[in-house]
Amino acid sequence: MNALSANRVLASRELLPQLLVAGIFLLLVILASLLLGAGPISAHVSLETLTGSTHPDAWFVISELRFPRTVIAVVTGLALGLAGALLQSMTRNPLAEPGLLGVSAGSGFAVALAILLGASTATLTTVVAQLGALAGCGLVIAATRVQGLGNDPVRLVLAGATLSGLLLALTSMLMLIDQRAADEIRFWITGSVAGKPLAVLATTLPFIGMALMLVLAVAKPLAAMSLGEKAAVGLGHHPGRIRLMVTLAVALLVGSATALAGPLIFVGLVVPFITRAIAGPDIRRTLWLCLPVGPAVVLGADVVSRLVAAPAEMPLGVVTALIGAPVLLAIVRAGRMPSL
Amino acid sequence: MNRIIPLPDKRNALVNSLLLALLMISTLTSLSTGTVQVSLADTLAALLGQADPMTDFVINELRLNRVVAGLLCGAALALAGCLMQTLARNRLATPGIIGIDNAATAFAVASVVGIGLSLAPSAMALAGAATATALAFGLAGAKGTRGYRFIVAGIGIGAIAAAITQVMLSRVAIDDANAAYPWTVGSLNARNPESVKVLAAGLALGYLVLMAITRALNTLQFADAVAIALGTRLKATRILGLGLSVLLTGLAVSVCGPVGLVSLLAPELARALSRPGKIPLTASALAGASFLVVADLLGRSLFSPLEVPAGIISAIVGSPYLLWILLRPTPRSLT
Amino acid sequence: MSRPATVALNVLQRCFTILVLAGLSSGAVTADTRSLDTAFGPLEISGQPKRIVTLYEGALDTALAVGAHTVGAVITRGGNHVADYIKPAAGNINIVGTPGETNIEAVLAAQPDLILAAPRTSEQQYRLLSRLAPVVVPDIPMFEADTWKRETRLFARAMGRADQAEQVIEQVEARIAEVASLVRERIPADQRNATLIRWMPQGPLVMAEGLFSAAIIQATGFRPNSKGLIKPGRPHSEPLSLENLSGLDQNWMFLATLNADGDKALAAARKSPAFARLNAVQANQVIAVSGQLWTSASGPLAALAILDDIEAAVLALQP
Repeated sequence: MNALSANRVLASRELLPQLLVAGIFLLLVILASLLLGAGPISAHVSLETLTGSTHPDAWFVISELRFPRTVIAVVTGLALGLAGALLQSMTRNPLAEPGLLGVSAGSGFAVALAILLGASTATLTTVVAQLGALAGCGLVIAATRVQGLGNDPVRLVLAGATLSGLLLALTSMLMLIDQRAADEIRFWITGSVAGKPLAVLATTLPFIGMALMLVLAVAKPLAAMSLGEKAAVGLGHHPGRIRLMVTLAVALLVGSATALAGPLIFVGLVVPFITRAIAGPDIRRTLWLCLPVGPAVVLGADVVSRLVAAPAEMPLGVVTALIGAPVLLAIVRAGRMPSL
Repeated sequence: MNRIIPLPDKRNALVNSLLLALLMISTLTSLSTGTVQVSLADTLAALLGQADPMTDFVINELRLNRVVAGLLCGAALALAGCLMQTLARNRLATPGIIGIDNAATAFAVASVVGIGLSLAPSAMALAGAATATALAFGLAGAKGTRGYRFIVAGIGIGAIAAAITQVMLSRVAIDDANAAYPWTVGSLNARNPESVKVLAAGLALGYLVLMAITRALNTLQFADAVAIALGTRLKATRILGLGLSVLLTGLAVSVCGPVGLVSLLAPELARALSRPGKIPLTASALAGASFLVVADLLGRSLFSPLEVPAGIISAIVGSPYLLWILLRPTPRSLT
Repeated sequence: MSRPATVALNVLQRCFTILVLAGLSSGAVTADTRSLDTAFGPLEISGQPKRIVTLYEGALDTALAVGAHTVGAVITRGGNHVADYIKPAAGNINIVGTPGETNIEAVLAAQPDLILAAPRTSEQQYRLLSRLAPVVVPDIPMFEADTWKRETRLFARAMGRADQAEQVIEQVEARIAEVASLVRERIPADQRNATLIRWMPQGPLVMAEGLFSAAIIQATGFRPNSKGLIKPGRPHSEPLSLENLSGLDQNWMFLATLNADGDKALAAARKSPAFARLNAVQANQVIAVSGQLWTSASGPLAALAILDDIEAAVLALQP
C-alpha cells in the first residue's frame, strides 16, 4: 500500500469518476455564484452577459462583485476542507475541526485584538490571523498529547468548544470596552467573503502554497500513520516529524482562510465528512476529493447567504453553522465515533 | 480518605451553612456596592426598612431586584445542572454544555424581536429548553442520557441555536440589536419583572419536588439494577428530573440569558465540599446563587460605568476551570 | 472676629441668599408653572431647573442650546463619549450611561432636578427615574420633518427656557434659509436628489427620509430618497448587499459611518469598486460626514453643525 504514489491513487479507477463528478458539481456552483446575487441583476441577464451580450451594469456586478467573492470563497473552502481532513486524520477523530477545536477562535481573537489596537479590516494583516491560528493549533496539538485525551473525541471537542467560548468571551469584552471598534469586530467575527478585494489573495496565497507543498509531502506518511504509529515507524516514517508538518500545514491553511473570510466554523467538519462518505477513509483519496468539495461547500453557502435575505445578505458564518451543525449531529448519530 | 468524616448529615449541614454564609456575604457586598457607595450598616438598615429614603431607594428598588434575580437564576441553573449530571451520570452533562441555554435564548429572542409566536419570554424560553433537550435525547438515540453522544449532540444544537439568534438579531434595526446584545451573552440588566416572579415560583416548586424525591435521585448513582432493587421507579424519576431541569433552565434563561457555566461550576464546588454518595442539591443551589451574584457584581464594577455582562465574566472565570477538568491526564469519572 | 459676630454674619448671609433665590424663582414661577404632555401623561413643572440630566442625544443638544446647566448625559451611539460636535459646548460632562442602558445610580449621584429622557424609555425605567426627579419622555411621532422642533420646544419648556428655544429655532431657520438660497444659486433644481448612507462593515445602510439630518437636508432644497428600501417605522434599512448600491445612485451622496469620522468612512468606501463607479462619486458629489452628528444626533446645535457641513460642501463646488 505504501508503494502507491499520489498519482496512482488519482488514476485508480474508483477515484477518477468521483473526482470528475465533484469537479463538475463545483463548476455548477461557480456558475450559480456568478449568476445569482442579492441585487437587481437577474440570473437571466447575468447569463446573457456571460455569453457575450453587452450589459455594462451586469458586467460590472459579475466581474467586480461576484467574481472576487467567488474566487475568495473557493480558496477559503479549499483551505478549510484540507485543514479539516488533515486534522481529523492526524488526531484520528472525525470531530476534529479547526472551528470546533478553537483554532479559528484563536485566529479571530488575534484579529479582534489587532482591530482594537488600531488596525482595520481593510488593512488587516494576514500575519495576525496566521499567528492566532498557529497559537490555537499549538494548543490543540498540546491537548491531544495529554494522556487519554487523544483517544477521546468528545473530551477534545469539548475542550475546543470551551476554548472557543473563552476566546469569544474575551472578544466580547474587547468590544464592550471600545464601542468604536465593536461594529468592525462584530462584522468580522461572523465571517463573510463579500466586498473584499482580490488583492487580499496576494498576501494569503503564498501561505496556502507552502501549506499545499507540506500536504503533498505529508500525505503518504499520514496514510501510513493511520495504520498505527508502529506501522508508520516500520515503514521508515517519523511520527513526530509528521505531526509537526501537519500542524504547520493546518495552521497555515486555517490562518489564511480566517484572514480571507473570518472564522467560519464547521466547514472543516462538513467537507471531510462528505469526502469520506464518497471516497472512504484513505487520507490520500480524501485530500484529493477535498479540492473540489471544499470550495463547493463554502461557495454554495455564500450563494445561499445572498439569496435568503435579499436585498441584504446573511452573514456567511451563520449559514455555514446552520449547514454544519446538522452534519455534526449526523456524525454523532452514525456512531462508530471514536475510531477513524 | 483518612480524615474522619463527621456524621453524614452534620457534614452536609455544615457545608450548607457555610455556603449560606457565603451567599449572604456576597449578597450584602453586592447590595452595598455601586456608583453610590452605601455602608454595610446602612444596607442592613435599608433592608430592615429603617434607612433614609435615598438609601432605601438605592438598596430596595435599584439593587435588591437585580441581586434577587441573580440569586434566583444562579440557584435555578445550578440545581438544573446538578440534576442533569445525576440523571446522565456524567458531570459534563449540564444545560450550559449541551446547548439548552442557547436554545432557550434563541426562542426568547424570537419573542422579544417579534418573529413567529409571540408568547411571553418565559414561555418561549421554556419551549426552547424543552425543544433542545428533546432533540439532544432524540438524536443521541435510545441510549438516553448516557455517554458522549448526548454531549456532542448538545454542542451541535447549541451551535444551531446560537446561529439562529444571530440571524434574528441581524434582521432588526442595528441599535436595537446592539441593545439586545448583552442579554444574548447573559446579563441581569434587562430582566423583566414578570419573568423574575415566574422564576421564583418555578424555583420554589422545583426545589420542593426535588426534596421530595431526593432518596430516589440518590439511588440513580448506582447501577440501574441496584436502583430498582432499592425500590426506585427509574423511568418516572428520570422523566420528572429531566422535566424539572428543563423548567429551571428555561425560566432562569428568560431572566438572565445564557449564563450556562454556572450549571457546571456550582455543582462541581458543591460535590467537592459535600459528603460523597449524596446529591448535593441544596449546596449546589447555594453555590450557584453566590456565583452569579459575584459574577454580576464583578461585571458591573470592573469597568464602571460600563457593564460587562455576567455571562462574559462567568465564561472567563469558568472556561479555564472546565478546560482544566477536561485536560487533566487522569480525569475523574467522566461517564 | 468674635464668635457671635461670625454667627450673625452667617445668618445675614443666608438670609440674603434666600432672598435672592426667592426673588429669582418667584419671577420664574409666576412666569411659568407649566403642564407638559409626555408619553407617560401630563407633568407639572415649575421654576427653572438647575441640575439637568439628559438621557438622549437630542435632549443634551437642546439643553446646551438654551443655556441650561446639565450635570449628566449618556454617550452618543457609536462613541465612547458625547459626539465631537457637541464636546466644546458640553465640556467634560459626567457620563451616566449609554443610550441603551442608563446607570440609574449615576443619575442619582448627579442629583438632578429634571431628567430629559429618550422617546423610547420603558415604563419600568420611567418609574424608577421619576423617583429621582421629574422625567420628560417625549410623546412626539418620530421620523417626521418637524420632530426635532417639537422635541426642542418640549424639552425647553420643561427647563423653563421656552423663549431661548424659540430664539435658537429662529436662528436655525435663518441658517436654513441662508444655506437653501446658496443651494438654489449653485445647484440646478433637477440635480438635487440625494441619498444619506451610513457605511457599515456589513454593507451600506440607507437612512430614512424622516431622519433628523435628512429633514435638514430636505429643508435646504435637496431631495433625500431612500428608494423604498426601509421598512416603515425604522430609522434605516438593513445593511444592503453591494449589488444594490447602484440602485441608490443619486446626484448627491451624504456618506457617514457610525464610528470613524467622515474622511475615514470615505476612504473605506472608496476601496469598494461598487462605490467608485457611482455617478455621485464620479461627479465628486460625495460629502463625507460624521455619523455621530448625522445619524445619531438631533437638536438645534446639531442642525447648525449639519448646515455648516452642507454649506461647506456646496461652497467647495466649482461655480
